[in-house]
Amino acid sequence: MADKQLTVGSTFTAGIWSENPVLRLLLGMCPTLAVTTGVKAALTMGLSVIFVLICSNLVVSLMRNLLKPHLRIMMFTLTIATFVTIADLFLKAYLPDMSAKLGPYIPLIIVNCIIICRAESCASKNGPWISVIDGLAYGIGFTVVLCVLASIREILSTGKIFETVQVMPGGFVPWAGMAMPVGAFVTLGLMLGLVNLVTKKKA
Amino acid sequence: MSSKIALFFRESWLLMISSVFFGGLLAITNTAWAPKIAQNEINKFNNLARLLLPTAEKFEPLQEKITLELKGGKSVMDFGGGKSIEADVRKGLDASGNCVGWAFVCEGSGFADKIKLVVAADAQFKTLLGFGVLNSNETPGFGDKINIKDGFYQAQFKGIPAASLTLSKFGDDKKIDSEIIAITGATVTSQSVLNILNQFVEPIHKQLTENNLIHP
Amino acid sequence: MEYMEHIVLVFISIVLINNLVFTKFLGCCPYLGVSGRLDMAFGMGLAVTFVTTLAGTLTWLIDHLFLLGTALEVTRYVCFILVIAGAVQLVEMYLRKFFPTLYEAFGIFLPLITTNCVILGLCLFLNLWQVNDILMAVVLSFGAGIGFTMAICIMAGIRENLALADVPECLQGAPITLITAGLLTLAFMGFAGMIK
Repeated sequence: MADKQLTVGSTFTAGIWSENPVLRLLLGMCPTLAVTTGVKAALTMGLSVIFVLICSNLVVSLMRNLLKPHLRIMMFTLTIATFVTIADLFLKAYLPDMSAKLGPYIPLIIVNCIIICRAESCASKNGPWISVIDGLAYGIGFTVVLCVLASIREILSTGKIFETVQVMPGGFVPWAGMAMPVGAFVTLGLMLGLVNLVTKKKA
Repeated sequence: MSSKIALFFRESWLLMISSVFFGGLLAITNTAWAPKIAQNEINKFNNLARLLLPTAEKFEPLQEKITLELKGGKSVMDFGGGKSIEADVRKGLDASGNCVGWAFVCEGSGFADKIKLVVAADAQFKTLLGFGVLNSNETPGFGDKINIKDGFYQAQFKGIPAASLTLSKFGDDKKIDSEIIAITGATVTSQSVLNILNQFVEPIHKQLTENNLIHP
Repeated sequence: MEYMEHIVLVFISIVLINNLVFTKFLGCCPYLGVSGRLDMAFGMGLAVTFVTTLAGTLTWLIDHLFLLGTALEVTRYVCFILVIAGAVQLVEMYLRKFFPTLYEAFGIFLPLITTNCVILGLCLFLNLWQVNDILMAVVLSFGAGIGFTMAICIMAGIRENLALADVPECLQGAPITLITAGLLTLAFMGFAGMIK
């Protein structure tokens, strides 16, 4: 990764498709499964992750030459935890409903493997500019998957999207199971299977 | 010895400096947003309470302390057993400053997580005017039906006597009395709401009367 | 006596009924990633149990001694994660020096554990559930670790047998693991509401 010339375009295709954090690398499963009962919650989560990812990548990349190997993880978690707290305070101040809904899953962004993985494999080796782009790309990749999963689950479990717009016809009986943990696991499993099928056809 | 200290600082200066820097950053954001966060909480309470007590203009915290002892359940999120807490009771005042009712916060364990409710009662504390949900995380599609404003479950609480409530699985949900009909598939949640109300309503009523705050 | 009963019930409840993996999706990364072989899964489970018990107790103490009710509450997440990262590193060094056999058994999992959400999640839930009793905090932390070990071992047991099953090609690997996990959560929902 490091010796290959990184460009904006290649970073974006990697983050959104070929190295998509959820679909390909299976990182960040905990929020992916937990907050996807509704599109609104998933979008808020995704945007918070993008914010934290960009900020932490930027800071880590700026101090990459000063890092001591055995204190590296310590520094990463410290940086990430700070930005997560800021995101949490922001949500509490401006989107109190969403903050209540996401509850402990916002602080749990700290241990979202995507962020520490990008800090380790990209930001600690590259300059600030490419690290920020990298954060944005992987963050968008994460958000897109979250939103797709959430819309499937929300439409099937309530018949509506964004909590208000009715999508399904009147006679539709909501599948309560889709809103429960089992719906999250099975839908994501089938999504991964579908992605495998598509990539295999292309190859 | 001094070389050890030097080594210690050489290894960890970055950690220390960044701790100070990040600490400062957090302090700044917190001071900037803390008032707004506190205001949000008050607004949320007021909005819910106003739906239940439409005549109230504002809600005023009480001077007197209302304390009650929690019985506590056996579930994993219920650690209140035997602990006495201070209840958050507010007086609903209309535009000319007359007391039109009471609103208070109740909480306890639900099915999946804690449930936090706002409950309103009339000025004499004879009847309950219903409840609103401040915070809950019940099963979507089942337990979270307690959250539907004026839905079948919430509507059963409007105008019932402020006394002990019982749950029933069958019966007439239109009849307004102390027998509440459970939500199908969410008996535990329905029971939890009753338990929470039963635990809070009576002690608060008693202490308000003792403090001569209820004027007939 | 009643207190003992409460402690036992809380323990059962965090292991079976409110199992963090099945009801809160915590610890899904290792649950799906390290559950390929039973012995590995068991090692990971033990390492997590060890660290959660330590970290849960420590963060509870820090929360109650320094943070609660003061302006420092805003630094809660930072403190928690630093305690966890520090505890993991200390445990790693200690084991390597004094218990080399134990270190070989689960030492390789230790660096992974810092980013295991079970641990931070539990520390946050101790705060959310307003646990105000140190013994209860210890029991909950230990129970959460045991619950995680149980979940990951069940999963590993199933996956070892799954290797022999005829799974459609595109569902092999991660997808079928996720679907299995979904069915497991469905089974564990049977425990829900057992203790009121």
